[in-house]
Amino acid sequence: MKYSYIKPRPKSVFTLEVKLLSTFFSISFLMLFMTYAFLLFKDYSFEKSLKSIEKRDTQLHTSLAKMKEQIVYIEKERALAQSIQTENTVLKDSITNLFDLVPPRITLSTAMLGKKSLILKGITPNKDVYNFMLQAPLRSIFHETYSSFYPAGNGWMYFVSTNYIDEGNHEN
Amino acid sequence: MKINIPRPTLYLIILSLLLFIFVLVFSFTVLIPKGKEYRKERITVKKAEKELRRYQDFHNETTTELQDLQKKNRNIIIAFDKVFNQERFEKQYKKYFSSLQLSKLATPVKNDEFLSYEVNTTSQMSSPKSFYDFIEALNKADWIIGVNFPIAFKRDGELIKSSFTMKVYCADQNTTKEK
Repeated sequence: MKYSYIKPRPKSVFTLEVKLLSTFFSISFLMLFMTYAFLLFKDYSFEKSLKSIEKRDTQLHTSLAKMKEQIVYIEKERALAQSIQTENTVLKDSITNLFDLVPPRITLSTAMLGKKSLILKGITPNKDVYNFMLQAPLRSIFHETYSSFYPAGNGWMYFVSTNYIDEGNHEN
Repeated sequence: MKINIPRPTLYLIILSLLLFIFVLVFSFTVLIPKGKEYRKERITVKKAEKELRRYQDFHNETTTELQDLQKKNRNIIIAFDKVFNQERFEKQYKKYFSSLQLSKLATPVKNDEFLSYEVNTTSQMSSPKSFYDFIEALNKADWIIGVNFPIAFKRDGELIKSSFTMKVYCADQNTTKEK
């Protein structure tokens, strides 16, 4: 016996409302989880970036420290080289001046130059020539000047002149 | 008044509510704090990147400074690194003297970050000008050499005999390697 004129339709749990609801929530969940995944990925990426920055920073720091040491060392080398060159030039000028100081009538046989001393040995026609032409300029340069003479035999005199800069400090 | 809600609809409402609560809870307990953390970290990373860029620029400037310094003082650096060669020195500077002898090198003395050797020199020359030329040439030498006091000049017939000490400076290899 039939109670209806239409054929019975199979009933499903997924009604239109359930489908609509599940679609809506699926999209919502998807968006939420995607956002969360994005944040997690970014978190990881930031951590990685920070680590790489830290590593690069350490590398730069080491390299910079090394370069600074190199700069200081080169500057020291330059300063030392320049000071040696200056000292050499000063030494050359001092010796030039010393030999220019000796008049043509006086002949030197020995000249010993120390840091603060000068010993000259030579021969002079007479004491006056030595005193006026050599001792006078030496006195203007050195604090202490000692001279001694002894005859050369031909009427000329041998002389030894010892000169010091800085009283009481007779070092070479 | 009695509200008559069909059972499937009631289930649907309950499910909707549960899901909605889950969304809210998830958003407020997980997503929003994580978002805040993200913003903070982004600022931190940007700051660190900015600092790194500045540091990198400073590093580049220092590199340029070092390269300039190395370029300008190339000869000095090479001279300090060069080991003193007695025979070569004699060969190069013999032209200034009638004769030139160097004594054996003494043990190097460590001075600050450099080593220095003392070399005793005796020579014979025809005029003091040779000595001046020698010192001028010494300033352009392959090594860093300083002439030291005492210097003695003695007449030896027609020649002048001179004896003096030279100090040869070179870089301490241990210090250089460390750098």
